[in-house]
Amino acid sequence: MKSAIKVTGLHKSFNLPNEKAAGLKQAIFNYLKGIKGYKKQKVLKGISFEIQPGEFVGIIGRNGSGKSTLLKLLAGIYVPDSGKVEIDGTLVPFIELGVGFNPELTGRENIYLNGALLGFSNKEMDAMYDEIVKFAELEDFMGQKLKNYSSGMQVRLAFSIAIRAKGDILILDEVLAVGDAEFQQKCNDYFASLHGNQTVVLVTHSMENVRKFCDRAILIEQGKIVKEGDPDEVADAYLKLWD
Amino acid sequence: MVKIPRVWDRKNMILLKELTKTDFKLRYQGSVLGYLWAILRPLLMFAILYVVFSQILKFGDDIPHYPVYLLTGTVLWSFFSECTGQGIQAMVMRGDLIRKVSFPKYIVVVSSTLTAVINLCINILVVVIFALISGVSPSLSWLIVPMFIVELYALSLGISFLLGAINVKYRDVASIWEVLTQALFYTAPIIYPISMAAAMSPTAAKILLLNPISQVIQDVRYNLITKETVTTWNYIDNIWWKAVPIIIIVVLLVVGALYFRKKSKYFAEEV
Repeated sequence: MKSAIKVTGLHKSFNLPNEKAAGLKQAIFNYLKGIKGYKKQKVLKGISFEIQPGEFVGIIGRNGSGKSTLLKLLAGIYVPDSGKVEIDGTLVPFIELGVGFNPELTGRENIYLNGALLGFSNKEMDAMYDEIVKFAELEDFMGQKLKNYSSGMQVRLAFSIAIRAKGDILILDEVLAVGDAEFQQKCNDYFASLHGNQTVVLVTHSMENVRKFCDRAILIEQGKIVKEGDPDEVADAYLKLWD
Repeated sequence: MVKIPRVWDRKNMILLKELTKTDFKLRYQGSVLGYLWAILRPLLMFAILYVVFSQILKFGDDIPHYPVYLLTGTVLWSFFSECTGQGIQAMVMRGDLIRKVSFPKYIVVVSSTLTAVINLCINILVVVIFALISGVSPSLSWLIVPMFIVELYALSLGISFLLGAINVKYRDVASIWEVLTQALFYTAPIIYPISMAAAMSPTAAKILLLNPISQVIQDVRYNLITKETVTTWNYIDNIWWKAVPIIIIVVLLVVGALYFRKKSKYFAEEV
């Protein structure tokens, strides 16, 4: 079977500007003085893995280990320095919930805008709309502007789009568990039901979620994969990082 | 590999539509007159220019329908400055989206300029009504006016792509452009008739007519208002010189689009 995601030898570095190089004056100055004006920071140093269709994979690691960069490379937001990302099927990325949400737009308008940003057509959104609203339990508020929503309602709406969006591969960056206890329970049930049916890549710091939902986990440390496999073992290895 | 969508991919068009709709809706949120401002702005600018230059300084006494003439210039100029102003800032203004989702970046630039296009369409209607009131008789040549508007839009897009891409890294560009547009305003015969420049120095008038903005404004006036208008085409003899405005636009659009495409891969990191 063809892998849903195949990553080979991924390298990524960023040019971090020194001090304030964000200006034309400074750029010309640096150029004249022969200063590069930035420092190269290697974030990912040769990452390779495969994810099979229907797998639920957790990516864990400390802050700054390169998880989010990896996710952004998978989503096609960044381009790698070298290496390859091969995706089979449509990928729906949630690097952040509610991208493009605008307080001056109504809930309904925001759903469609968010959907368009994720690459869904109006027709596809029409098909998902009712389910999204129902899951968010915001049926009575869709005509209201987002600024009149409580913050809990906003997150619920964004989260519902994320998990109701129909794509072959779902990518989630630390967005589990929002809303009140009841809504969280609903989300947990939903994630449990995804098992085996949906390819999910989840970045999280919650080892509880890793153990509960994931088929496999990948631990990243300083831009490299240090452990991969059984979620319980990888989660234990993660917790030992501080020993 | 992540699929690279085609330029006119349906999904891209839907995103373009959604972003434009949002821009349009938000632009005049919370103002009492709302969308009316889109029309009022160039009209008020016109009113000021009219009083100062036509009534006080007596510019354009020799030109038939001078007020319409002036209004046409202001409307086209407003479009150009609004379009480029929005277009250059687009990537930075929408940085939140670019950092979080992957989609073709040109959509952001185009959507930010489309509000200006919609405004222009309405303003052109105002110009036409104004022209009819002031006694300009409709003619078949009105039909080719849209062609020049497309030309002006191509110029605006070229500038937006080129400077917008540089502006992602060097935010000074937007500010420099703001000042530059102030200067550019006077290089086009908007408030003064080109005949005034020609009376002083025919060469100077010819140079001014090499500016694509001047060429478009004069051509629109020629086809919309009066055949007495001096245009790049009828004032400059050499065929190559006549073509200069078009060449400038084509070069800017091609270079702008290519440069933007090359740089857009890294916008998510840089913005």
